[in-house]
Amino acid sequence: MAYEIVVLTNMAISILFALSLNVITGFCGQVSLGHAAFLGIGAYTSAILSKAGVPLVVTFIPAMGMAALVGLVVGVASLRVRHDFLAITTMGVVFLFTGIVRKQDILGGEIGIAGIPAPEFGRIGLLVTALLCVLAYLLFVIRIRKSWAGFAFDSIAEDEDTARLLGIHVPRFKLFAFLVGTAGAGLAGALYAHQIRFIGPDSFGFVESISVLAMVIIGGIGSIWGVILSAALLSALPQFFQIIDDFKLLVYGLLLFGAMRFAPDGIDGLLKRLFRRAGGTR
Amino acid sequence: MTPARLSVNDVSVRFGGLMALEGVGLEVGDNQLLGFIGPNGAGKTTLMRVIMGIVQPVSGQVMLDGQDISKLNSVQRIHAGVALGQQIVKPLRAMSLLDNVALAFGGSKLLSPLRALSVRSRATEREAARAILSDVGLGAVTDKLPNEVPLGYLKRLEVARALALGPRLLLLDEPLAGLSKPEAGEMADLIAGLPRPGLSVVLIEHNLPQVLRVCPHLYVQANGRGLAFGPTDDVMAMPAVRKAYLGGEG
Amino acid sequence: MLLIDLCIQGLIQGAIYALIALGLTLVYGLLRILHVAHAALFTLGGYVGVVVTNGSGSFLLALLTAMLIVGFVGMASYRVIYKPLLMRPPLIALIASIGVFIASEELFRLVFGAYGLSYTNPPLKGQVEILPGISLSHARILVVVLAVGLLSGMGWLAVHTRIGIAARATVVDPAMAASSGVNVETIRYASFFIGSAFAGAAGVMVSLLNNLVEPTMGAVPSYKALAIIVLGGLGSVRGALVASLALGVIEAFGTIYVGHILDRDSIAFAFLIMILMVRPQGLLARG
Repeated sequence: MAYEIVVLTNMAISILFALSLNVITGFCGQVSLGHAAFLGIGAYTSAILSKAGVPLVVTFIPAMGMAALVGLVVGVASLRVRHDFLAITTMGVVFLFTGIVRKQDILGGEIGIAGIPAPEFGRIGLLVTALLCVLAYLLFVIRIRKSWAGFAFDSIAEDEDTARLLGIHVPRFKLFAFLVGTAGAGLAGALYAHQIRFIGPDSFGFVESISVLAMVIIGGIGSIWGVILSAALLSALPQFFQIIDDFKLLVYGLLLFGAMRFAPDGIDGLLKRLFRRAGGTR
Repeated sequence: MTPARLSVNDVSVRFGGLMALEGVGLEVGDNQLLGFIGPNGAGKTTLMRVIMGIVQPVSGQVMLDGQDISKLNSVQRIHAGVALGQQIVKPLRAMSLLDNVALAFGGSKLLSPLRALSVRSRATEREAARAILSDVGLGAVTDKLPNEVPLGYLKRLEVARALALGPRLLLLDEPLAGLSKPEAGEMADLIAGLPRPGLSVVLIEHNLPQVLRVCPHLYVQANGRGLAFGPTDDVMAMPAVRKAYLGGEG
Repeated sequence: MLLIDLCIQGLIQGAIYALIALGLTLVYGLLRILHVAHAALFTLGGYVGVVVTNGSGSFLLALLTAMLIVGFVGMASYRVIYKPLLMRPPLIALIASIGVFIASEELFRLVFGAYGLSYTNPPLKGQVEILPGISLSHARILVVVLAVGLLSGMGWLAVHTRIGIAARATVVDPAMAASSGVNVETIRYASFFIGSAFAGAAGVMVSLLNNLVEPTMGAVPSYKALAIIVLGGLGSVRGALVASLALGVIEAFGTIYVGHILDRDSIAFAFLIMILMVRPQGLLARG
């Protein structure tokens, strides 16, 4: 039972993390190759505070706040650079984050922070908390999607210049996406730190950033349900892979390649194609 | 005396070492349709972009109804009442024609993400969009995606979208380009019907016969300088204009 | 003397970066794709270098074999990874490329073992005093000679041969080049061969300098090479070369002067982000 709870909690955290990137990359169309940095900022903030005795749920707020603050800075950068330049800039952010963390003694340097207190409400409590966080964030992103904010994002994701000519204040919407997306990652980070109870710079690197981007792309960029499904599947994958633990990354890498090669519009696109065929129309 | 709807005063633009525009100026009154013509490379699109705030002039100013808008960026200008229909149509291909226009009706929701977040319903904007689309003759295809309709329709969509911004000044950059002769005639008629009290239109076009047919006033630009400005017949009688057109391209 | 020493170390490192970044720039110029799997080719070069040197005793043979093999594998990577994805958004090819790269690291580990390989009898160990008080190993000198030779050779090809001229035309305007009879596919294969072979050579040289090849040796230098081509203005070969050398030198100084707050690898990205904020289009725009 305890094992299932761990798997489910991991799944919830992955879903939250992927949904948060989906706001930036899926909704607003800004590619980020460094989203794990914000997971890390949330995790470190929450871990330090809870080691100082602050209750877990209270640490959520500063964890989200710190992540969003740095997210805002990256968002401002995204107003200057576009497309591939932005992709590499965000990749730089994650290397910068791990690089700085490694050299800070307060953050545990290379070794990281161990002995993060167990959540006061136990394993099941943590799972419930994580699920509530996912639910709250999910409702919020659905609200974005269905509101005029989602409408405006659709245009920015497709063509910024046209969006501008339609009177959309593109910079404000981009910053909004970065704020919401990085705050969500910060929250996921706070949960992650208390789930694993040990964090180090290597937990928040480039590969983790790519993994979450893969969840978004395999789910179908911008699709809320597709992303939830793919995040749940991909986060559970390592469990299925235990027999082939030696080849884990090999399989994962080939899976990424295969998904891009054969289903580039993701689960969302696959399902749509399936329904279209079943419906027989269009 | 009420100030002109648009007045462009002594605008110069430099690209690198090249003077793209040199001291050009023009004026458009209320309820007017001004034809803006000139040979290729005359700097027509550049002047449009200056009026939109996409290109920054080295000197000169742009006034809208007596207000200096030179310091505003393009999004601010749109909300102040200037709209542009682009030469190369850029519909948002992931949404229906209806939503393309409805989005432009968003008004202040497009300026603030928080306001945008607080509103879900698109009903009134879609209603207004439907009305505009049927005004431009697209009433039957409102729910199609841009890739499902021909170029002529997309040209009309571009006009509809610009109108949806509720402009006092509408700039149209070569809306007839790429259209067949009958289509161009219909489009020109459509444009001729747009001006009304509170809305003036500037039509940049290469299609001279249609411009001469529908525009009561002309502004001619060549090599980055203003060549002539006034009632169409007077302008076309000027030797300099005839020379620019006969000497340049047709 | 420290200043000069740091400059020289930086330029040597920069020469290695340049050899790696060249292939990335060529691929970006032709396909608009960030070719992360290039990193795997660099590592492959290192493995071939060590294995052939240890087997045959000839480092020269190893270097040539590595360039040849890696060049062909690079061509295969175009055929297998990118060609089927050309009509897709570039992000798709980027993720596919990262997938292949992740898988390849694991493959190296499975084939060659997790702890890496070393030269049983490392060649080119002798030292030369190039300036009073500053000595360099033969290996380091070879890095510079190789980088200058290969890169200027490629520069000569680009200017003086049909395929070089055609390649440059294709970068500027693919449709135009194709319509004037350029075989775009040939250009792509040739560019992948050259770019990959150079990365292979860089891999051999790095394996020699460190006397070690390990499965993950490609990761960091190749991410940095991505930073370099962005810094150079994406697709600009000259920009990439300038950025490579600049980055090599900045890192050499950075590790000494700001090493206590930033590790070596993040200095590169801090530099990148600073430059991009001032010049969002990179140091040298395309040309």
